[in-house]
Amino acid sequence: MPYPIENRPADLRERMYFPEIIRGIGVLTKHFLRNLFFARDKNPDILERRRGEFGVSDNATLQYPEERAPYPPGYRGLHRLVPREDGKPRCVACYMCATACPAQCIYIEAGEYPDDPIEKYPVKFVIDELRCVVCGFCVEACPKDAIRMDSGEHTPPSYERGAQIWDEKRLLRGPSVSYQYDPWLRRGSPSIPADKLEEMRARAKPFPTVATDEYAQTPGFSVRALAQEAKDRAERPK
Amino acid sequence: MNRLIGMVVLIGAVVAGLIGLSAVFYLAAGGLAYVFAEYLGAPPSFGAAIANVVTLMLVVMMISGSLLTVAERKWSAMMQNRIGANRIKVLGSALGGIPFLAADALKMLTKESAPPRGRTRILYEMAPALAFAPVFALFAIIPLGPPVPLGSIIASAAGALGSAGVALQVASPDAGLLYIFAISSLAVYGTALAGWASNNKLALLGGVRASSQMISYEVSLGLSLVGTMLAFRTLRLEEMVVAQGAAVIGPVPALGILLQPVGFLIFFASAFAETKRAPFDLPEGESEIVGYFVEYSGMKFGLMFLAEFVEIVVLAAIITAVFLGGWHPLVVSTEWLRQTVTPLWFGAICGGAFLAKMIVLMWLQLTIRWLLPRFRFDQIQKLCWKILLPAAIANVFVTAGALLIDPSMQLLAWIGVATIVAVVAITAAVGRAPAPGEHGAAHVVAGH
Ligand code: SF4
Ligand code: SF4
Repeated sequence: MPYPIENRPADLRERMYFPEIIRGIGVLTKHFLRNLFFARDKNPDILERRRGEFGVSDNATLQYPEERAPYPPGYRGLHRLVPREDGKPRCVACYMCATACPAQCIYIEAGEYPDDPIEKYPVKFVIDELRCVVCGFCVEACPKDAIRMDSGEHTPPSYERGAQIWDEKRLLRGPSVSYQYDPWLRRGSPSIPADKLEEMRARAKPFPTVATDEYAQTPGFSVRALAQEAKDRAERPK
Repeated sequence: MNRLIGMVVLIGAVVAGLIGLSAVFYLAAGGLAYVFAEYLGAPPSFGAAIANVVTLMLVVMMISGSLLTVAERKWSAMMQNRIGANRIKVLGSALGGIPFLAADALKMLTKESAPPRGRTRILYEMAPALAFAPVFALFAIIPLGPPVPLGSIIASAAGALGSAGVALQVASPDAGLLYIFAISSLAVYGTALAGWASNNKLALLGGVRASSQMISYEVSLGLSLVGTMLAFRTLRLEEMVVAQGAAVIGPVPALGILLQPVGFLIFFASAFAETKRAPFDLPEGESEIVGYFVEYSGMKFGLMFLAEFVEIVVLAAIITAVFLGGWHPLVVSTEWLRQTVTPLWFGAICGGAFLAKMIVLMWLQLTIRWLLPRFRFDQIQKLCWKILLPAAIANVFVTAGALLIDPSMQLLAWIGVATIVAVVAITAAVGRAPAPGEHGAAHVVAGH
């Protein structure tokens, strides 16, 4: 947001310099004493922490590995391959994400289910997280909502580079998702038992219209809920 | 609330600790003085001085100097709303960052020393010592505690020996303040030689910056204290401290800061520039510009680094002695205290008061370091030659005039009070004058 910059010449007192220094010492002393005598608010809900009031310190620091601020809604975190209800990946190995990826860090090898010759699946699906530029194009490109960056965590650090190459075994995680239009639900699939199919059909959702749809998100990381929370917090009387 | 209670208890413990420490110093000085006088036939002041070298110069100065490295981290963190160094934990407690001291020392001592090729060997090796030694020697004339009769410390010392005074002061040369000027101006050799001997153009430039800054501020530093010399009619620090105990306006003691507020500000600013710390840290400028000790590593660098912190301690001690009433506790009348408690405890409480004042002043110096951005070099020279030096000269004349009219210092004290009131009034005046041409600026924006 643009704001007007006050750029006026220093007045007499400011040019005398010493009074302003003394005032500055006063400001620092206030902060120092408050932080010396008052403990910081250790509320585990970091966004709710109080500071700058009487009785709590002004401290804004989070002790990072132990205390973490929640990432904002829409944060592009670590990729995941979204599973179907039967645990197989939703991915149909169409290579759209690999084609869209500007860093060319997705490697896919397609294969066919032996008992379902229509459906393809990725035999290998490898993302080199070190090369990834976290642009999210792969998520946008996917026609099957099979790859997401909604894990709400960043790529965990590792001691070896090899550990940053995530294959389909590690990527396939998180809550499963089914849509009513999913072909394997509409026409059935020999690889899915009949009763399981019914259950999956019952649970399937309509296709998401906007990215903030609740069911397009990982539980516990609902963009809508977070946005609502932020709004409530802003509106709450001080 | 727990922290509030803990802090109050901690501060009380620190004050009690300072008093206890002073008592221990007196016992050490008295003990050694007695041993020297009784068995070696030397004057008691000789033994006391040797004990004081160990207790004051090694214990007080080195420990507070190294604790300041931790304090700089923690205090600056508190001023900037951070937590500060707390990741080294001893038994699950960060102990206020004090274990970092050990980590720092270990790091400095075990780091590789990488001397540059083409250095001037002798000067390169000597420079850290030349930077450190003068600062260290300055502490010798600081009167940390009042003289206490030896007989009250060591019961078996009697007669003439028992009435000999033992003070917490290493040496009391007649030259007093002149000693401070003489020795502190030696420190410039360390920095200039470090820059020159390390065969590095950037270090040389840093050394040149350091010498020009330090030599400039030497002038206003010297003149700023002339006023106090005139007012107290002595050069010796211990006599100045005694003189500050006398009442001048009603019961208010003749503190140096009361008689010489302008001198105090000038001395503080000049001495701050001598310590080469922000906002006067052009000679080194750790973060941006390369300084005179860029080629130093390992413990040689550590010595330069420590010299800076020791300078803070010394500066705090000098200001306490000259301007803040030295060992007079100020919260209670010194005379009353002298009559109430035993001489040993009187000395200990006074010594504790001196140390407490020193801590407050060290804190003030760190505060200013985190308050102000670095000056530009021309601003540094301008501040010295155009502002501080004329002000110091004017201060000398005003002081001398006031003392000529009224030798009892009363007029001087009233002038000082008026100055302090004026400074406080200007500082407290809230809000800024409206900037000229605000209308015009609004017009331009609207018309665009
Ligand atoms: S986020 Fe961008 S760079 Fe990373 S894998 Fe997806 S498309 Fe490639
Ligand atoms: S993740 Fe999506 S875009 Fe990529 S191959 Fe699978 S189905 Fe295609």
